[in-house]
Amino acid sequence: MSTFTWLTGHKPALTEAQLERRQQLAEAAPLDNRTLQQRFVVLDLETSGLNMRRDVVLSIGAVVIENSAIDLSQQFECTMQREGHQASASTLIHGIAPSEIAMGAEPAEALLAFMEFVGDSPLLAFHAEFDQRMLARALKQSLGYRLQHAFFDVAEIAPLLCPKAGVGNAGLDAWTQHFGLQVQQRHHASADALVTAELALILFSKARQQELDSLPALQQQLNSRRRQRAHSM
Amino acid sequence: MSTTDAFAQAGKTAVLQNIHGTMAFLQKFPPFNQMDSAHLAYLVENCQLRFYGAGETILKPDDGPVEQFFIVKQGRVHGERPHSARRGTETTFEITTGECFPLAALIGERATRTEHLAGEDTFCLLLNKPAFIKLFALSNPLRDFALRGVSSLLDQVNQQVQMNAVETLGAQYSLDTRLGQLAMRTPVSCAPEMPLRDAVKLMHEQQVGSIVIVDPTQKPLGIFTLRDLRRVVADGSVLEQPIASLMTPAPFYLPPDASAFDAAMAMTERHIAHVCLVEHDKLCGVISERDLFSLQRVDLVHLARTIRHAGRVETLAALRSDVCQLVDNMLAHGASSTQITQLITLLNDHTVCRVIELTLEDMGDPGIPFTWLVFGSEGRSEQTLHTDQDNGILFEASDAAEAAAIRGRLLPLAHEINLRLAQCGFTLCKGNIMAGNPELCLSRQEWSKRFDSFVQATTPENLLASTIYFDLRAIWGAPRGCEQLRQGMLKHVAGNSLFQRMMAENALRQRPPVGLFRDFVVARKGAEKDTLDLKVQGLTPFVDGARLLALVHGIGACNTLERLRALIAQGVIEAQDGAAYEEAYHYIQQARMQQHQLQARNGQAYSNRVDPDNLNHLDRRILRESFRQAQRLQSSLAVRYQL
Repeated sequence: MSTFTWLTGHKPALTEAQLERRQQLAEAAPLDNRTLQQRFVVLDLETSGLNMRRDVVLSIGAVVIENSAIDLSQQFECTMQREGHQASASTLIHGIAPSEIAMGAEPAEALLAFMEFVGDSPLLAFHAEFDQRMLARALKQSLGYRLQHAFFDVAEIAPLLCPKAGVGNAGLDAWTQHFGLQVQQRHHASADALVTAELALILFSKARQQELDSLPALQQQLNSRRRQRAHSM
Repeated sequence: MSTTDAFAQAGKTAVLQNIHGTMAFLQKFPPFNQMDSAHLAYLVENCQLRFYGAGETILKPDDGPVEQFFIVKQGRVHGERPHSARRGTETTFEITTGECFPLAALIGERATRTEHLAGEDTFCLLLNKPAFIKLFALSNPLRDFALRGVSSLLDQVNQQVQMNAVETLGAQYSLDTRLGQLAMRTPVSCAPEMPLRDAVKLMHEQQVGSIVIVDPTQKPLGIFTLRDLRRVVADGSVLEQPIASLMTPAPFYLPPDASAFDAAMAMTERHIAHVCLVEHDKLCGVISERDLFSLQRVDLVHLARTIRHAGRVETLAALRSDVCQLVDNMLAHGASSTQITQLITLLNDHTVCRVIELTLEDMGDPGIPFTWLVFGSEGRSEQTLHTDQDNGILFEASDAAEAAAIRGRLLPLAHEINLRLAQCGFTLCKGNIMAGNPELCLSRQEWSKRFDSFVQATTPENLLASTIYFDLRAIWGAPRGCEQLRQGMLKHVAGNSLFQRMMAENALRQRPPVGLFRDFVVARKGAEKDTLDLKVQGLTPFVDGARLLALVHGIGACNTLERLRALIAQGVIEAQDGAAYEEAYHYIQQARMQQHQLQARNGQAYSNRVDPDNLNHLDRRILRESFRQAQRLQSSLAVRYQL
């Protein structure tokens, strides 16, 4: 159904109940006066590929950081049904078999449940831009919903707070190795989300030491770092 | 979504990747590996994961009653408490991956007494108290573990040791069994006036080997055994006379709470075959050596007696393999390392005495009274199967000329004794610390002069000598001279603070092999790569520390555990610390002995080196904790002597 609608460019066909739930979704909370103590949803997506225009989200894994702790009782894990999905090179990476996709949840349902899980919290991800765009597109296509939640990129925060780590702009594996973290199953959305969250906990602890506990202040630092880098390039 | 909703959902899909992964991680560690998986899932689903940077406080006494149960997922936590009576803090314990805290405070619903700090970047899983209480009620393994704390770990190790051994022996029997439990039948007793004939008739009817003679209040007056009957018959005594005139008066007795091991030791030491059990001055049982050893292949009493009566050195040498098997059996029956060293010492003492007696018979008694001294581990009664000779002779002489003359007569004898002991498995001492060495066959005055010189001139050689010679014991001949020598030595040590300081420095030389960042510090290269030395690195710190403190405080005991107990009694070390040292020492010794037994069985040479990676998780953890205790003892010495 959803595949069909994005092909034809029509609005997604949602049931009454789904429309009702979409209506009820919380708006992203403003970040003024917020600190790192607040609730964050740490997200990881597995997708059919890396093309942000063509590829689709196959599974979502998310954990919650609240009061600087990962709350294992709040987790989100979902594989989505994608019609006509075929194994590709990515299958080797995320290891989600086409049969598993076929058994997955209907995308509109899955995305509604996920956004209910997110609530008004900001999101954290590693290389967040990719997850943000993929998720925004999926929400648009399947729910006709516009994603406005703030995203924080752990890949950006890490070198800001640990300039001496010498890891630079490397990937998740380099940072997990740098901090000696163990990933239970790399390229499984939930396990990647958990290790990203563990990385975030370490970074939050460093932020507190550097008195960057306030979210606007952190965002400001990230912006100025971005400007500097743009300038130097 | 509220937390309860999330829990309801998590409960339904209990295979969430991260829950599953965390459970798999916990299942590598006790007590989680014994928990029901539904209980474990509940635990994980209710956890928080928290990060603590190196040096960050996790829990402190000021926080009030503990509200969470912590499990280290990654990293290292250490406990610090204020030094008693001194400035600063000391590290009391270390907790690493898979271990949990603070059980006592959580169950006692109080604040922790020790500040818990992250030793390095650390992740902990935190379970809230309501969830912990619920699990505590549901899960037996968790409850057992929580209630017994670390001592339950030690129990698990002991169970493991026994299980392994019982498998090879197929006998269920513990030397820790209460005697009251072993003495099944009511004792056979009679009044002192009973004629011998009637008493023997009674023994015959009841099919027992002994009868206890009691007064009207059931208090034992004497014992009469079949062995006594043989003597009486051989002597041609009249069977009509009252048994009181033929019994062995004042028989040895133990309370019913004493252990089988106590009875075995008493029988071996005293050469008796029956021990009365007495409670409130009333006879309540008799234990015979057959009761004790009916299930063992080699029995201790019999072995000791065989050694004591061996007619030839060859027989003694042949008995060594029996000693080895006995130790095997003892380990199997759950004897502790202390019991076993005690036993080996006892049998070795018997062997030495018998060798001396046989040599005197063979070479002729020179008619000069002398005392056979032993030093080092033999002096401390801490021998294992792997034994070197460290001995000397002490005699009385009025002047130097007389001493030289006596020495001349004793030396050939001493030399022969050394050789024969070597034949019996006591390796000749490479450093020539043997009675056959003229420098170690001395009069009391000469010995005392020699000991003084160790204390006065603190050269490295003298320091080393003091660590060997000052652990001395007389095992044959009159013990008086040895005691006088010891008292003189203690006086000299007490009056010489320079010597004390040097000894303290010496006691800090061997550092326990635990590192700051790694579990264990092991040899980096060579044939000993990746191993550590249980004796030198693990036991020596305790032995040296206990010796130093004992000598300084005028304590005459030589055995390390006895020294520790005396030091506690004198208030030199705190009872809690002493108990912890004792447990740690005991465990390292146990690990060493098990290794020796295994090497003996496999026909390998004895070695004290182990590769910690070859130990199971539990053993490794306790070994590390034991080394940590050695470290604490050393740091307390460093503070005491400002080193």
